[in-house]
Amino acid sequence: MSTFKGDQRKQGRKRWSRIKTNVSELISGIRENKFASIARAISIIEDGNSVRRKDILRRIGKPEKRSHIVGITGPPGIGKSTLIGNLSSGMMDQGLRTSVLAIDASSPFTGGSLLGNRIRMQENLRDANIFMRSLANRGEKGGLSRSAIGAVRILEAAGNQEIIIETVGAGQADLDIMNLADTIVLVLAPGLGDEIQAIKAGIMEISDIYVINKMDREGAYFAMKDIEDIVSMDENSGWKRPVVGTTNQDLSSYKSLIDAICSHRKYLEGRNLLSVKRGLMEMETALEDEIDEKITRKLKEMLHNEERKENVNLATEDPYTAAERLLQNFIKIREQSTSSP
Amino acid sequence: MAAGKNQSSYKQRPPKILLAKPGIDGHDRGVLVLARAFRDAGMEVLYAGLLPTPEEVIDTAVNEDVDVIAMSLLNGAHLTVFKRVADLMKERGIDDIALVGGGTIPEEDKPALEAMGITGNYGPGTPLSIIIEHVQRRSAEARKKKMEQD
Ligand SMILES: Nc1nc2c(ncn2[C@@H]2O[C@H](COP(=O)(O)OP(=O)(O)OP(=O)(O)O)[C@@H](O)[C@H]2O)c(=O)[nH]1
Ligand SMILES: [Mg+2]
Repeated sequence: MSTFKGDQRKQGRKRWSRIKTNVSELISGIRENKFASIARAISIIEDGNSVRRKDILRRIGKPEKRSHIVGITGPPGIGKSTLIGNLSSGMMDQGLRTSVLAIDASSPFTGGSLLGNRIRMQENLRDANIFMRSLANRGEKGGLSRSAIGAVRILEAAGNQEIIIETVGAGQADLDIMNLADTIVLVLAPGLGDEIQAIKAGIMEISDIYVINKMDREGAYFAMKDIEDIVSMDENSGWKRPVVGTTNQDLSSYKSLIDAICSHRKYLEGRNLLSVKRGLMEMETALEDEIDEKITRKLKEMLHNEERKENVNLATEDPYTAAERLLQNFIKIREQSTSSP
Repeated sequence: MAAGKNQSSYKQRPPKILLAKPGIDGHDRGVLVLARAFRDAGMEVLYAGLLPTPEEVIDTAVNEDVDVIAMSLLNGAHLTVFKRVADLMKERGIDDIALVGGGTIPEEDKPALEAMGITGNYGPGTPLSIIIEHVQRRSAEARKKKMEQD
């Protein structure tokens, strides 16, 4: 390209350098909170290649300090993304490094999706320089929570104190994601009426903080009263679940939400409960990956090798008998290889 | 690297596209039609909003790690705006995100856009299928570059 001189290009490279996919460079980029490195690492986690995923997550290692994960959930259109924009920039103002993950649903038929959450928080993200990433719920079993768990680890390694996750809270995959959260915030709005009854069954019980958003709307105080009545039935011991009103018409309204979230964090830290659920989930996923790599894949290889032998016709055998035999052979080979010096 | 040795096939992420209309422009409908069409073709689609600056477009593209930035403009300012985005990408050393253009682009401007690496440059009335096919191809190229860097 004639418009771009070579020495100019060199200078440009030095300042920004291209996005490195080399794992060591990615890891050091993540540690320095470089958004490009964080973004690329999350992509690798999102791809289905478990070897690369493991490579990154292993090298990240144990976090110096655990992040506090805040799950924001609630019905479609209730104002979650708008609220997260204000919440995250408010937290940054208080000196808390904050990042955002937002889950969008994919079409189960085409796999495509409109990642619409970002645009609602775009201005806050830009002004406060916040890293935000959209994750698509592609519907494959366990895929979303695997991506989210990995993304959280990466953001934790980047030194975030707070990580906010948005989900619509419907369906099993979303509930799984909420298990990652230390603090679950359920967002509702005036005029939901019957919908509140429907939500009650699932996510209502596991929420730590209730928000009535769109407080500028009619009926806001009745909605708050409804939830306060529900909360007043809680047992007296333990965490007292607050009900907070917010509206994007009054930015100071988000302050009480930040206070509530910080109190819950302190509550958990005081009882050594931070990241307990998440730690277990992380272990489970790691274990699944290990089993997949060390056992499932090897067994399938064995199966295919056997199939290739000329005198064997697997179709004549009952599949469960064959599976049992294969697994037994596999265990025998393993035992032999570990007992011999 | 050793990655992928035992797994010849694994599920890759779908193509990820950022739709942007940089500069000042009021008509937003066309972009939303495109967004839906891309989604229905199995892509993950982000929309950069009504008036993003070129810097914002690139920041979003990097943080979301998209494969293609599809830029659309309906007034005459496209050449400068498109050029600004392309220049910024070069400045930052980003070469694994493809740039695709569209809008009312005079025939004589197209070679200059192509020279900046901005391809497609389809005008109004171009069948969606042609645009989709082009974006998919460019997306695959960008993805390949991303994977090559190990
Ligand atoms: N009146 C009023 N409208 C609001 C408020 N907060 C958000 N909205 C509007 O509610 C609509 C939905 O906002 P979002 O932030 O996208 O809601 P969401 O819950 O993230 O939506 P989904 O992600 O699609 O489930 C938008 O039109 C917002 O402008 C508020 O406090 N008051
Ligand atoms: Mg949203």
